[in-house]
Amino acid sequence: MTLLGDVAGWFADPAHWQGTHGIPTRIVEHLELSGLAVAVAIVLSVPLALYLGHVGRGGFVAINVANIGRALPSLALLAFALPIAIALGLGLGFWPTLFALVPLAIPPILTSTFVAVREVDRDVVDAARGMGLRESQILRAIEIPLGLPLILDGMRTASVNVVATATLGAIVAGGALGRFIVDGLALQDYPQLVAGALLVALLAVATEVSFAAFARATAPAGMTANP
Amino acid sequence: MAETRGATVEFRSVTKRYGDTVAVDGLSFAVPAGRICVLVGPSGCGKTTSLRMVNRLIEPTSGEILIDGENVLQGDPTELRRRIGYVIQQTGLFPHQTVADNIATVPRLLGWPKERIGARVDELLTLIGLDVRMLRRYPAQLSGGERQRVGVARAMAARPPVMLMDEPFAAVDPIVRERLQNEFLRLQRDQGITVIFVTHDIDEAIKLGDRVAIMRAGKLVQYAPPGELLAHPADDFVARFVGSDRGLKRLSLLTVGGADIDPNFDRSRLDGAPVLSPSMTLRDALAAMLASESQTGKVMDGDRYLGALTLAKIGAMLRVETPA
Repeated sequence: MTLLGDVAGWFADPAHWQGTHGIPTRIVEHLELSGLAVAVAIVLSVPLALYLGHVGRGGFVAINVANIGRALPSLALLAFALPIAIALGLGLGFWPTLFALVPLAIPPILTSTFVAVREVDRDVVDAARGMGLRESQILRAIEIPLGLPLILDGMRTASVNVVATATLGAIVAGGALGRFIVDGLALQDYPQLVAGALLVALLAVATEVSFAAFARATAPAGMTANP
Repeated sequence: MAETRGATVEFRSVTKRYGDTVAVDGLSFAVPAGRICVLVGPSGCGKTTSLRMVNRLIEPTSGEILIDGENVLQGDPTELRRRIGYVIQQTGLFPHQTVADNIATVPRLLGWPKERIGARVDELLTLIGLDVRMLRRYPAQLSGGERQRVGVARAMAARPPVMLMDEPFAAVDPIVRERLQNEFLRLQRDQGITVIFVTHDIDEAIKLGDRVAIMRAGKLVQYAPPGELLAHPADDFVARFVGSDRGLKRLSLLTVGGADIDPNFDRSRLDGAPVLSPSMTLRDALAAMLASESQTGKVMDGDRYLGALTLAKIGAMLRVETPA
């Protein structure tokens, strides 16, 4: 019980809410790192997945290749990335962590986007093509809007994974919320450790909830009998 | 009354091969402008492949398809498709768009001004007999019959001279199907559009077709008006396909007015006989006579007595027109 009290005390300390080591700064760092990792993964996988889903070929090969990213431990990737980043003069912390997180985010985004486009009713696509929509118009006006819920689903999974894993950055002297956990562990400052873990968990849940809200707001109209 | 001038459609030695398989084999026939041509045959006979070659969803291996004398295989397929109406079995309505947006698809692609699109959508809604309140609905909120009507309206939106229909009424129940068929016939006559229609249902082919093309294994077996098809099937396959009741089917294409009516038949002997009108089909007349256990029917044009039609006369027509 004392630990819980100590954690509450840690949160109550105004010093922990200020400056470059304060909670707000760490949350912003955490969101910047996670957001950039997911954004890079989106840029790398969404166009490819849309194309493969539209032509209906090669998707499962791409998914299998991408799944290697899921099999590679993020910690191992981080270890690989560290010497490369140092050699390139990118330094510790942010860039090696980003490098470790992107392969984690790609598989769910690639898979969901491919399946989202692929699963759009072929009769609808056939009718669209038969009426004279060009291939790009079919993708833009039919396949993407109808597949959007599933596309967002992949991005949500990827984001939650990345937010939860971005704590690793602290091992290589990065910022973000992992700092509290790693420092807490090193200093045997358990209230700080638990507080950091709580903050990461809360941020992951918040990510999940905001994606769900966004998905509801952008869901294609007319998809239920009584919208 | 016709707002659209239908175009002629002609197949010239059209063949489609997939590797070693021949899906469509040297298909040649011509559809006159403003008429309905029904492609019918067992599954795998190549009827849908033939249809989809007209708007180049499938490219022929060889041969030519001409619309108003112009080879469709030259030029941009997308431009071509915007000039050809297209209706499929499950309608392919865009589920995330309202009825109004669905109907407006091709006019929008063609860049019509907003007011013109709106006016055309309203006009089509009236033509297919749907209420204006339906415009803001989504396809999932419509009945099967309503969806099919919207599918037809969407295909007609930009006044195409030719319309392709692939089993458009197959997914609705028989009562709705019959109503849709009747509405479609009226609409087609009114609009003067040329239609190529695919079905596996010979009764539908006979009912809707001005010409019926019977296909088997990629080849055209017989191409004729439905009456001729029933009266003179080209071979055993066609005879089996149109059914052993083809004589009865043919009766539904003939009217009482065109039958051999006896005007001198004593009217006083016709008490209790069913009253037939000249526009009634012989099939309905036969049903009425059988139901009332009467050997004769009283043919009346309004209040005017035209004569009597006997079961024997109908039987004679069956025998004469369909030699065994």
